[in-house]
Amino acid sequence: MRKVALVTGASRGLGLELARFLAGEGHSVIATARGERDLAAAAAGLAGLEGRVVPLAGDVADAAHRAALVDAARRLGGLDLLVNNASDLGQTPLPPLAEADLDRLRRTLEVNLIAPLALVQAALPLLRERRGLVVDVSSDAALGGYPGWGAYGASKAALDLATRTLAEENRASGVGFVSVDPGDMRTRMHQDAYPGQDIGDRPLPSATLPFWAWLLEREPLEVSGRRYQAQATLWEVAP
Amino acid sequence: MNTQELRFERPESLFASAPAEMRGASRDDVRLLVSAPDGHEHRRFTDLPSALRPGDLLVVNESATLPASLAAEGRLGEIRLNLSTRFGPRLWTAEPRWSPAKQGPLPVREGDVLRVGDARARLLSPYPGIPRLWFVHLDRPGEAILAERGEPIHYGYAPAYPLETYQTLFSRVPGSVEMPSAARPITPRVRSALLDTGVRIAPILLHTGVSSLEIEAATVEQQALYPEPFRVPAETARLVNETRARGGRVVAVGTTVVRALETAWSPGGVRPMAGFTRHYVNPATGVRAIDGLLTGLHDPVTSHLAMLGALVGIGRVKDAYAEAVRARYLWHEFGDSHLLWRAPAAS
Repeated sequence: MRKVALVTGASRGLGLELARFLAGEGHSVIATARGERDLAAAAAGLAGLEGRVVPLAGDVADAAHRAALVDAARRLGGLDLLVNNASDLGQTPLPPLAEADLDRLRRTLEVNLIAPLALVQAALPLLRERRGLVVDVSSDAALGGYPGWGAYGASKAALDLATRTLAEENRASGVGFVSVDPGDMRTRMHQDAYPGQDIGDRPLPSATLPFWAWLLEREPLEVSGRRYQAQATLWEVAP
Repeated sequence: MNTQELRFERPESLFASAPAEMRGASRDDVRLLVSAPDGHEHRRFTDLPSALRPGDLLVVNESATLPASLAAEGRLGEIRLNLSTRFGPRLWTAEPRWSPAKQGPLPVREGDVLRVGDARARLLSPYPGIPRLWFVHLDRPGEAILAERGEPIHYGYAPAYPLETYQTLFSRVPGSVEMPSAARPITPRVRSALLDTGVRIAPILLHTGVSSLEIEAATVEQQALYPEPFRVPAETARLVNETRARGGRVVAVGTTVVRALETAWSPGGVRPMAGFTRHYVNPATGVRAIDGLLTGLHDPVTSHLAMLGALVGIGRVKDAYAEAVRARYLWHEFGDSHLLWRAPAAS
């Protein structure tokens, strides 16, 4: 069954791996990221796959860009899957929260909490039509209280709660909402968090693909309201 | 636990290379070693009902075996691609091998494309911590490729037999790439005798991936295991909990059943559950959901042995295996059976 997916932060790392996976499954993918050149290069690399990849560069924190993304989905026939993956790590090196730049923190909250919620608001009419699934990409930092990760972690903790709330509020409409913590991965964001350190022992983002493949075969309401760890020992639903 | 504690010696002459039915015998015509804390008994498999009591519960795996081994061709020439676990229609893990008898790891690379007939398999990346296993993305559903070109996975010690050789009486849902073999000797007459004894039988589902090799990590607990899809139905969870509450014993038929039930265990009992589990049963995790295990004889230094050690202690496992070697029991999926009891079999 061909689906239409919208993936944010799709020019590299987990977002790119997901876009490649979805297009390889034959789904249409609207791929967005801020850097136009990186996104075009990423989309060119996905050109041979079965599913169509539509690159649309822009900032998800910008309302006009969000409207353009939803329009693109409408032109492809609807929307089955929204992956809010684009994230802002915040200040680097990661500062103690007591010393964090508050304007920078506002930007982190804007990208990691407000923008995904705004995209959900804009896309919800399309998602209702197809009884679709929204995936909010979270992080271990949402639970951890890890020194230095306070700004990013707080934004992801808030996103987790928004996801759970949306799941309850939209159950009757058939739209599902899940949080997914992909786990540590060898990505640029992870490298930015550990400047100068060798992160070569972290798994590549493709290590999370089994989880995504499993998730996308579930009924949205079967998983709605849950928080999964893509590299965990167990992914479960009630049978 | 130090990995070396799982080492034992057994001659290759004890590898069963053919199923009983190929010798013109019945599937249940194999031996049964019964190991309890107070010693070992040598029985026939058809004696299984007499080793159990009314009110005991056997839990079996309903997974059926797929013909998961494919001839593939690529940069390295003709190789074998054994599919392992289906995560989505086209996303699987797979083990590239030189041949059924000759394992990898092969010098394959990310992005390599293998040809399987007119289908294509793209290698994505190696499984973290298990370098011989790769994520592969297929250009059509794996089930379709297997239906067209697959043969049962087999290794150097046995040829490939017809697919039905790798199914058990309980096989119902295709998905395993290697036979959950513990139930293989349970024939209709053994099942009837079990039910007549007052033993009950309940199913779980767990699709096995390719069998594990020797643990390479220094300690048993460090070994990486990959996840497998499973389901513990509500009725089976209820029967497990009820059996134990009434003083009956729960016997897992095969290591796959142990993994599924231990995954679903909670202090309040076994819960209904479905998903993927990477739960690794070893002496550090212990065993909480079962009282006995009916299984085959396993290779040295494997995670299966660590699981047996979790149930009865590694000392008792090695004692039983010394007895099995001495009495010339046969190893592997077509070999003899082993029933391990955690507690003494007070009658």
